[in-house]
Amino acid sequence: MTVKSFFLSSAFWMVMGTLAGLTGAVELIAPDLLGNVPWLVFGRLRQAHTNMVMFGFVGSALLGAAHFLVPRLLRTQLHSERIGLFCVVLWDLAIGVGVAALAMGYTQNREYAEFIWPVDVAILIVLLGIFYNLLMTVRKRGENLLYVSVWYVMGALIFTFLSYFFGNAVWAPQTGSIWGMPDAILAWFYGHNILGFFFTPLAVAVAYYVIPIVTGRPLYSHTLSLVGFWSLLLLYSHIGTHHLLQAPAPTWLKVVAITGSIGMLVPVMTVLINLWLTMKGRISVIHTDIGGKFVFAGTVWYLFTCLQGPLQSLPYIQKVTHFTNWVVAHAHMGVLGFAGMTALGGIYFMLPRITGRPIYSETLADIQYWLVLTGMTGFFGILTAAGLVQGHAWLNGEVVYRVLPQLHPYMVARAASGIFIVAGALVGLYNIVMSLREARSNVGSGDLTGQEGP
Amino acid sequence: MTPGFIVGGSLAIFLCVFFVAVLLPGITAKDTPSEIFRPRTPLEEEGRKIYIQNGCSYCHSQYVRNLDWDLGAQRVAQAGDYVSDRPHQLGSERTGPDLSQAGGEHPDDWHMAHFINPRFTRPESLMPPWEFLGRERLLALTAYVQSLGFKDADARMARQRYWKQEAIKAYEAGPDANVEWLHSHVPEPWRKLPNPYPTTEAGLLRGKRIYQSFCIGCHGPIGDGMGPAQPYLYPPPLNFTILKGRGISGGILYYQIMNGITGTAMPYFKRELESEKIWDVGNYVAVYFIGETDAGGEPRGIEASYIRPREGK
Repeated sequence: MTVKSFFLSSAFWMVMGTLAGLTGAVELIAPDLLGNVPWLVFGRLRQAHTNMVMFGFVGSALLGAAHFLVPRLLRTQLHSERIGLFCVVLWDLAIGVGVAALAMGYTQNREYAEFIWPVDVAILIVLLGIFYNLLMTVRKRGENLLYVSVWYVMGALIFTFLSYFFGNAVWAPQTGSIWGMPDAILAWFYGHNILGFFFTPLAVAVAYYVIPIVTGRPLYSHTLSLVGFWSLLLLYSHIGTHHLLQAPAPTWLKVVAITGSIGMLVPVMTVLINLWLTMKGRISVIHTDIGGKFVFAGTVWYLFTCLQGPLQSLPYIQKVTHFTNWVVAHAHMGVLGFAGMTALGGIYFMLPRITGRPIYSETLADIQYWLVLTGMTGFFGILTAAGLVQGHAWLNGEVVYRVLPQLHPYMVARAASGIFIVAGALVGLYNIVMSLREARSNVGSGDLTGQEGP
Repeated sequence: MTPGFIVGGSLAIFLCVFFVAVLLPGITAKDTPSEIFRPRTPLEEEGRKIYIQNGCSYCHSQYVRNLDWDLGAQRVAQAGDYVSDRPHQLGSERTGPDLSQAGGEHPDDWHMAHFINPRFTRPESLMPPWEFLGRERLLALTAYVQSLGFKDADARMARQRYWKQEAIKAYEAGPDANVEWLHSHVPEPWRKLPNPYPTTEAGLLRGKRIYQSFCIGCHGPIGDGMGPAQPYLYPPPLNFTILKGRGISGGILYYQIMNGITGTAMPYFKRELESEKIWDVGNYVAVYFIGETDAGGEPRGIEASYIRPREGK
């Protein structure tokens, strides 16, 4: 029930979040179209978009998947469905209230840490509740060995809780911040950890779970899993200052951040090598399963994102890319391409195993796959190109205002790509709701729920 | 690995990294204000709240980098500029210009027109209209923007205020006195300088494009100073038609487009427009709105302006 509710929330927030994104994209083409509607003004809408997509869509799906795969892998039941359900409800409530507050102008205005204090507290309670629930599940496990996905889930919850607590400066309810440059450093420590320790480990956990089952192969190497896990914790965690390379932050910290960013290639490549060698020669097999297909696309985007990321952290490259749409493209690759597609893969892989029936429509899921993939590829190409146009023009001495008309065609194409993604989200919501509804009318007929482990 | 090992290891790593990446820079950061810093007034603080509430930082950064050319590029940001900022508003994108030195770049009335609808003063802006905030909050927001740059901004604002008085006096003294006052601020050599480029169809088309991107909001489509920003600005935008027969020259137009007229809503365009673009838009104004142009005279010295030999020029 917990898992189903998380998946349903995810599908709902994907629609809301991508709609907000599309609206914002349209405003960058026609800024007077929705003129003087306070809650739709770009600055507020952007915050609503990022928070709904990050916490609502991707976060819900990955947390749901964690609630599914941890008990499965440990051959036991979730410790408490009641705590699980409580967490889902509070999570959705927090996001709903948080986003409504953002639309009304109540914001702490640090990227991804915008939610106001009461919402922060609610989210921390949820993270704590989930950690407790899954830890208790681990304690009463029927399988002694902890599979790599379980490590990632545990690590993710610990790092996310602590990053969220410190990053949102929960002890300062009014502003949710500390002062000046240290605040910027703290905010980007947090901002990057949300990607690095909320999405990345949970999505990697899903990929580690789904790929061996779908391909019917044991994991290629447990040693690589070990290296990938600990190096992620060690290296990903202190690179946030690469967002401030051109700001007056301490130089030594910038060096730490760049070193860590390049070092990121270690956890990323070990995970990908491990996963891809597991599925070696079986790429066609993985594409016969709709969940596996999404997860595979997610791993490819993971490669792109994490090759681009370290590159982007080099001052020589950032001279061009910083402040431009290149970075917007990068963010979409990480959240939608990698984490989002992997999360959708998790949903479609796990749904039939919860309900005991195939999903409502494989075709619709496939259509969603292509819509999201097309839209995402569009984002990547268009926004990267737009970013290069901006960055080079600025470097050449053109002022921001002079470059705006040149961005127009890119902004139109970007909004067009956004339509694909919103369409994908709508198809997904319909498909997931129908899959769950069918399940409700057939309670107890499950036969796919048997244990299977990688 | 046991659960204890994973939990303990994760906690240990988090604490170590948190110490290095957050605490250490926090502890060692000097909270010494930079040479331009001053505390913000209550009205400016209120404006900053409005700036935060509406997510302005998602399009406007607040730090000038050592590779920037745009607004505020005269001074690279220092950590001491931000000692009173809670939360920070450094920003991560530049859809609009960096604002860390925006204070005093324009007079208050320019900002009011710009906030009511950004396209009134900047025809190609992508900023949303802020009319919904209402006059009171727009005034607070303006006060905040005018404080960006702290003491540097104050110095610029003092200049804006002084020259606003002078410009109003000149405007209220009638067209003859106003034009004379405007021209008197242009150095002699510039006043005598004709536009060196010949009037060509291509040049006028280029000038028109520049005019529509930069000037039309205040000076209007027919150059009579009745653009949509006009109701918000005092002294109002110049009606170009009054310049005819009053000693206008290509050089005066160039000088004033390049440097702006402090105190009035007329900004300087030297950062935005290169030389030939300024000559082109000046000649467009001269030909279509003023009705007399000195463009394209015989080269008199060693200048290497392009000419069209077949027309005998």
